[in-house]
Amino acid sequence: MFKIENVTVRINEKFILNDLSFTVPKGQITVMIGESGSGKSTMLSAILGMLPAQATVEGSIFFNGRNIVELAKQDQSVLRQRHFFTIFQDAANSFSPTQKMKQQLYGLTALRMGQTKAVFLAKMKHIVQDLHLPADVLERYPFELSGGMLQRCMLACALYLAPAVLLADEPTSSLDMLHQQEFIQQLKRLHTQLETTVLLITHDLDVAASIADFILVMKNGEIVERGQVTEIFEQPKHPYTRQLVAHHF
Amino acid sequence: MRKEQKMLIFWLVILGLLVGFTLFSSWLVPFEPNAMDMNHIYEAPNGTHLLGTDQLGRDVLSRLLVGGRVTLFIATLSVVLSSIIGIIYGGISGYFGGAIDAVMMRILEAFLTIPSLVIVLALQAIMQGSVWRMAMIMGCTGWFVTARIVRSEFIRLKELEFIHMAKMFRTPLWKILFRHLLRNSLPAIFVVTIFNFAGAIFTEVSLSFLGIGVPPSIPSWGTMLYTAQNDLLVGAWWMGLFPGMFIFVTILCVQAIGSRFKQRGGQTHV
Repeated sequence: MFKIENVTVRINEKFILNDLSFTVPKGQITVMIGESGSGKSTMLSAILGMLPAQATVEGSIFFNGRNIVELAKQDQSVLRQRHFFTIFQDAANSFSPTQKMKQQLYGLTALRMGQTKAVFLAKMKHIVQDLHLPADVLERYPFELSGGMLQRCMLACALYLAPAVLLADEPTSSLDMLHQQEFIQQLKRLHTQLETTVLLITHDLDVAASIADFILVMKNGEIVERGQVTEIFEQPKHPYTRQLVAHHF
Repeated sequence: MRKEQKMLIFWLVILGLLVGFTLFSSWLVPFEPNAMDMNHIYEAPNGTHLLGTDQLGRDVLSRLLVGGRVTLFIATLSVVLSSIIGIIYGGISGYFGGAIDAVMMRILEAFLTIPSLVIVLALQAIMQGSVWRMAMIMGCTGWFVTARIVRSEFIRLKELEFIHMAKMFRTPLWKILFRHLLRNSLPAIFVVTIFNFAGAIFTEVSLSFLGIGVPPSIPSWGTMLYTAQNDLLVGAWWMGLFPGMFIFVTILCVQAIGSRFKQRGGQTHV
């Protein structure tokens, strides 16, 4: 469903990703782990077409058999808009500080689908309730909500849109332990409910262990090891993975 | 209520009173501001003329209130104009970045190397005339700081996730520029505009004091100070003191309000 083939990203002639290839199987949760600066977020940016102007991308990114890289900019946007949804690291920066949540969530969901505000409100009220968000969350501004609540608002968008692919870049790193667990549970529920394919990036091995079907270990822009959760955590092969796991447990 | 809030309300009330008195000066003035009365020249403050009279027997209080309206009108118009130019210039530079930003910033820096008062002086010397023209000149030379602030706000905001998402979801450019970037830059623009307003009052007063601002026939705080220069030597202290006090208090109020909003902006990171 989602295939990365020989992707190399260079920024100002410096290799950030080097000949990366992997597959994200349909309906599974694939987690990419590795230290800061290993290229995880760059991979996500390459998928989303959000790399800086000076970056050059080589290789192919296949989605449902179509190479996104070869598509025209307009077609790339249409494809991403229709099938992808992204949850970013800093929930506070994911929303405009000066607009109410109702307006923003409407813009992120129903407006994209050509639905009216009435339809949006009817559906979103149930989702908000389901995610244990305050009843008046839609009437609040982002600064009136905690980081955990804002991340759940992003999940609410994903639940509304039911995207084929959910990309999440360190979604729990700005949350405390309690909210992390809560977020992971809700992400799992979303995945089960919608059968969404998930590519999650994290440096937190606890998060990876609790949610992943498949793990990719990245170091210096390369995938050094890949495998099922048990393989990675119980029988790590690469010295870097061994070091990561040993350091963690 | 916290002490800072009380102080902010205090300065707002003082400024509100000053602006209110000058705005409604047509109804409040006890005498026609340009009416000369040669029998009552250089009268010190008294029961009839609360702030005294000038060398032509005109009531100083009436001229102060009407003159304030002229000064504040020039300051307001020039600040509106400079904000519009600054937002457009800084917005284009900050949003598009790269070579466009580099060229636009070098041009801006070239302007910044020349004190804006000198540019205003030169233009005013060439084009001197009406109140409108003066406001235009001040507006066209007072946008540099606004442009820099808008540019830095746009650069900061465009890297935030909600802008990335807006781009990813093919939000029209005008919506990104106005609904997201400009809207979220407004607190910073508001603060810089307040300080620009104080600066504009000072510029009007300075130019009129030098005799190249508002025509002497139109009362403004600056022209009143200009005419008071010689009269101080004959002991008519009230002619310079009261316009000076009005200018001082107005600029102090505006600066205090601006500083308070700047602090609040710093606390909330908006």
